[in-house]
Amino acid sequence: MPALVLIGALILYPVAYAIWLSFFDKHSFFPASRWVGFGNYDRLLGDPEFWDSLWKGVVYAASTTALQLVLGVVSALLLHHPFRGRTAARALVLFPYMIPTIVAVIVWRWLLNETFGLVDYTLVAWGLVRQPIVWLGVDHIMTSLIAMSVWQFTPFVTLGVLARLQTIPLELYEAARVDGASAWARFRYITLPQLRAVMFVVILLRGIWMFTKFDTVWLWGEGAGAGAEIRTLPIYTYMRTFTYYQAGFGAALSVIMFLMLMAATLVYFGFFWREEEAAA
Amino acid sequence: MRRLYARLARALLYVGILGLAAQALLPLLWMLSTSLKPPREVLATPPTLIPAAPTLENFARLLNQTAFVSYFLNSMTVAGLTVLLTMAVGSAGAYSLTRFAFPGRESIARLILCTYMFAPIMIVVPIYILARRAGIVDTHTALVLSYSSFCLPFSLWLLRAFFQSIPLELEEAALVDGAGRLRALIYIVAPLALPGLIATSIFTFTLAWNDYIFTRILIISDELKTLPVGVQDLFSAAVVDWGLVMAAGMLITIPALAFFMAVQRHLIAGWGTGGLKG
Repeated sequence: MPALVLIGALILYPVAYAIWLSFFDKHSFFPASRWVGFGNYDRLLGDPEFWDSLWKGVVYAASTTALQLVLGVVSALLLHHPFRGRTAARALVLFPYMIPTIVAVIVWRWLLNETFGLVDYTLVAWGLVRQPIVWLGVDHIMTSLIAMSVWQFTPFVTLGVLARLQTIPLELYEAARVDGASAWARFRYITLPQLRAVMFVVILLRGIWMFTKFDTVWLWGEGAGAGAEIRTLPIYTYMRTFTYYQAGFGAALSVIMFLMLMAATLVYFGFFWREEEAAA
Repeated sequence: MRRLYARLARALLYVGILGLAAQALLPLLWMLSTSLKPPREVLATPPTLIPAAPTLENFARLLNQTAFVSYFLNSMTVAGLTVLLTMAVGSAGAYSLTRFAFPGRESIARLILCTYMFAPIMIVVPIYILARRAGIVDTHTALVLSYSSFCLPFSLWLLRAFFQSIPLELEEAALVDGAGRLRALIYIVAPLALPGLIATSIFTFTLAWNDYIFTRILIISDELKTLPVGVQDLFSAAVVDWGLVMAAGMLITIPALAFFMAVQRHLIAGWGTGGLKG
């Protein structure tokens, strides 16, 4: 019991404090603070940079989640087939997810380096592009960030779907085969329905985590002349707090982020339940 | 015709799997290759896939001329202490969640799931201010406490699942035989919960080992920095020394991958109970 109380204190206190803080105009370093009520929220709604970063964050989260889901399911299906060296291949595929973010970022920044990078060199050598693509420049930085994030986080989806695939009874497929169902029909009417629940969880978690992703985005942008192009909501929150020292405003941004996630989750759950009922 | 079709499908499967393995592995092999090249070869055009003159020079420079060793030790200390604290508090909490009945037990479990919605970015602001108030900014204590508070919910969730799978009857039998609760805990529950404890420790360790944001915010002195932040500073230099950076990347990756290999079997089991976060 004391442990539980301690846990509660460790987790809930910072959250409660964030909410409290968001009602103050507070400098990040100096102790002085002034009660402003909903002032921060009011300011936030009229702040074009907030809306811009929200949009960037939604674009980033939606595109990376969608791509991870498609690629993750495809790779899980591939890895579910029996072949020699399957165990090794399964472990190998998880590598990108297990390496620290800083490593994933430096490796890809090196691969995508416009002067010495392997990717641009190959593209030019094979005649696919005439000029090296400046992947980390303003035009392509969002694209390269999305690609790199999908590379890094897809294994999570693969792992989840693969774990579920292994529990689908083989008899289902045999029965379908006897009934003359094609490979596509077996996938459509057996595999997909069985994967519904796990996909529901995976979409929810990946969506939340991509929307709140900080380190990958921050490290990707720094030092490359990247400013507003990949300033997602978490980046904007960080900058308000630690670059402009507006802790109160930063806290308000965190609270808004949390409320939006809550709302999205509830809508998502409602949607899912309605579909369940319709299916039943 | 039918056999041809089956063969084609088989070939496609292998191509797909090769592609899958290649995309996961090639970037890491390229890191290895670069880290073994002398500076001039690193920037060579056309790039050499396998170093023509492999050398450990980059690693030597990394260890001798940068603070890498100090970052490494800091990361080890902080991650190790986080695991100790999280496991101590987490297993006590999980034990009481599964063994004692009290009002709200189930809603606590549900509340834990809610914390999946928190990302570090949402609690760094209050944590930073609280750390300043407590006067522990720029100490490893601040890091250990914030990692623990961040890891605890999902460690608790995971441990709870493991504790639930240990039959109560075993403990009751020990109690009937005259063992105290503590002895029952040490001799009956702990050994059975060991795989769960190990898996949870690894998740906690990886989280602390990989973290960037808390160190960036809470640590100011160079000699207290952990690996991700230290390496990022190395890499933010005006002219990036790619050989050196890749060597650093190799040395950070090795412990993470070693842990991963060690718990690979538990990983799939853990996934079902919500053991992966990030």
